[in-house]
Amino acid sequence: MNNKRMLGVIDATTFYEPLKDLIQHRTLAALPFGGRYRLIDFVLSSMVNSGISSVAVFPKHNYRSLMDHLGSGRNWDLNRKRDGLFFFPAPVLDMPEELIGSFHHFESHMSYFYRSTEEYALVANCYSVLNMDFKAILDRHIKNGCDITEVHQMGEPLEIYLLKKDLLIDLIENKDTTGYRSLKDVIDSGDARYTFCSYEYTGYAAQIDSIEKYFKSSMELLNQSKWHDLFRKDNPIFTKVKDEPPTNYKKGATVKNSMIANGCVIEGHVENSIISRSVKIGKGTIIKNCIIMQKSVIGENCQLDSVILDKDVKITDNTVLISEAYTNPIVIKKGVVQGELMQS
Amino acid sequence: MVKTKCVAMLLAGGKGSRLNSLTKNLAKPAVPFGGKYRIIDFTLSNCTNSGIDTVGVLTQYQPLVLNTYIGIGSAWDLDRKNGGVTVLPPYAESSEVKWYTGTASAIYQNLNYIERYNPEYVLILSGDHIYKMDYDLMLNFHEERGADVTISVIEVPWYEASRFGIMNTNDKQEVIEFDEKPKQPKSNLASMGIYIFKWEVLREYLEKDALIPDSSRDFGKDIIPMLLKDQKKLIAYPFKGYWKDVGTVESLWEANMDLLDEKCELDLFDHSWRIYSVNPNQPPQYIAPYAQVEESLINEGCMVEGSVEKSVLFQGVTVGQNSRISESVIMSDAVIEDNVIIERAIIPPNSRVPSGTIIRPEEGKEKIVLGSEELCQEMNNGM
Repeated sequence: MNNKRMLGVIDATTFYEPLKDLIQHRTLAALPFGGRYRLIDFVLSSMVNSGISSVAVFPKHNYRSLMDHLGSGRNWDLNRKRDGLFFFPAPVLDMPEELIGSFHHFESHMSYFYRSTEEYALVANCYSVLNMDFKAILDRHIKNGCDITEVHQMGEPLEIYLLKKDLLIDLIENKDTTGYRSLKDVIDSGDARYTFCSYEYTGYAAQIDSIEKYFKSSMELLNQSKWHDLFRKDNPIFTKVKDEPPTNYKKGATVKNSMIANGCVIEGHVENSIISRSVKIGKGTIIKNCIIMQKSVIGENCQLDSVILDKDVKITDNTVLISEAYTNPIVIKKGVVQGELMQS
Repeated sequence: MVKTKCVAMLLAGGKGSRLNSLTKNLAKPAVPFGGKYRIIDFTLSNCTNSGIDTVGVLTQYQPLVLNTYIGIGSAWDLDRKNGGVTVLPPYAESSEVKWYTGTASAIYQNLNYIERYNPEYVLILSGDHIYKMDYDLMLNFHEERGADVTISVIEVPWYEASRFGIMNTNDKQEVIEFDEKPKQPKSNLASMGIYIFKWEVLREYLEKDALIPDSSRDFGKDIIPMLLKDQKKLIAYPFKGYWKDVGTVESLWEANMDLLDEKCELDLFDHSWRIYSVNPNQPPQYIAPYAQVEESLINEGCMVEGSVEKSVLFQGVTVGQNSRISESVIMSDAVIEDNVIIERAIIPPNSRVPSGTIIRPEEGKEKIVLGSEELCQEMNNGM
């Protein structure tokens, strides 16, 4: 079967220092995004929608929330008898952090690559927000006789690669001789033995590597054409199902230009914001340019502008939190109780 | 393996003919409700939340949507190795297809299903009602009272009592008489169509009833009276809380509006008693800069550019610019184009309401209007 020819590899070992306030308790792949998703959902759903039925996820830091999110893979239809979702945590390596590349992580689970029958491997990062058809890349890759295809957008690499599985195995096994510790190293080397190709992706794509980027990309979802580009009926983004009721807009609520997930109760004013599942917003409260994550509760008569509230944050009545600059949002960490008399 | 104590038999073959075109292609338990649910979600979720994990669902009328929806029961955590959900349609025997001619015949024809588990008790449910109930409490009550049959009852307003099956009880809550839709009711305790039987009593009486040729094979009309005649111990279990039979377009509309009432006892936001459903996997709802949304329930995947007031929007609904929706129920994936006015209406799934249409009940003629393709065309031609 044609669509059986790719296996999916998601490198979820990345840790970006500029995001540390949001990824201290969770791995980057599990960072909430777009009201009801986690970052990994976008690449994982793209793989599933491209007919990939065997996906290996390589996590490293704090992956409890990622495991909880992915579970058996049921929400992505990856709970299979044959193939499905594989979870390969990183080994403890006795070498300096900066010398460890993704090939080191892959190497400790080589049996996965040896056993798979797929001819090609699609290797992706865990922090890209996109909805991509990987089958199209494969077709181009084969047609043009490429060895390694990298996906680009406007010349910028998206760090998503397609290559033959046997070549990947070869690169991993010989990493100590070649010095290449990741596919990025191979591309950067321009090694003359390989034919490198570039695939230009024209849909919506964002790479989340800093708080500013996280904030900016989240707000881009309020742009209708970008929204439609990412959330397509024919290629849905799957995520963990939560069984929340529809959102309740109470009397006096005013909501403008916002994306709201299910299970919220809104009594105040919400503008230019992204509100995740099960959030409560009290009477007289004004929320502008904010990202509010799951289950946060905001009391009455609060004012929040350019703030990111992580999960389970509680803001007590009459609290004012306004960032000095729109581009530099205030971040309230997971589980914090923030009151009127406290300084952020 | 733990022995199954109680098997639930969920009657889901109802036609719901007074729901008009809404039940043209689906059975009443599959009718959408509350922005993301189907009516049967309430009984199935009650089962899961009450710890009942073996549920036979009896389907007959237009079963395709319902069967697909239930699947293997994963949405309600009822995909189990032992038990779980089993859809039980009528089946053919060597001589004929045995249709379910009444509630009792549906169970009678599936006695072999119950036998497989050989439980102590059988819980009979209807998939037509919207309510939250802990069946485990009722089962405890049934055991404590040592009843042969326990029937869940709810107090209804006296003026409505003649619409229901009424239980007349003595001071020990024992049922002494059953009146089906009495002209002059002696009590206002209505049967909710929820019964717990001792398994051997159920089997005995279903087998007895099967031998009576002119029986209508109905629990209320035939089985209960027979049990009363034989002086079996029938106890009424009083239920307090929200319970609604959405038999008509108007009552379906009302039940949706009830959800918007702050005082409504049916709390969908209670995490300890979640109502599960098959999730459509749609992005969060988007509320545009000039939109207005108040006193409404909105589900994921909606795009609202107009104004929505006192309404319930199912998943994937689009509301265009300058459109005004009030006191209405808009079912999944309906597209309401620009400059539309909808008042006190139910718009069925996948409808397209063209720009400029006005849908509202005719003064003095009807309370609620059920939208349809023909209606939209008619309204547009008339403009």
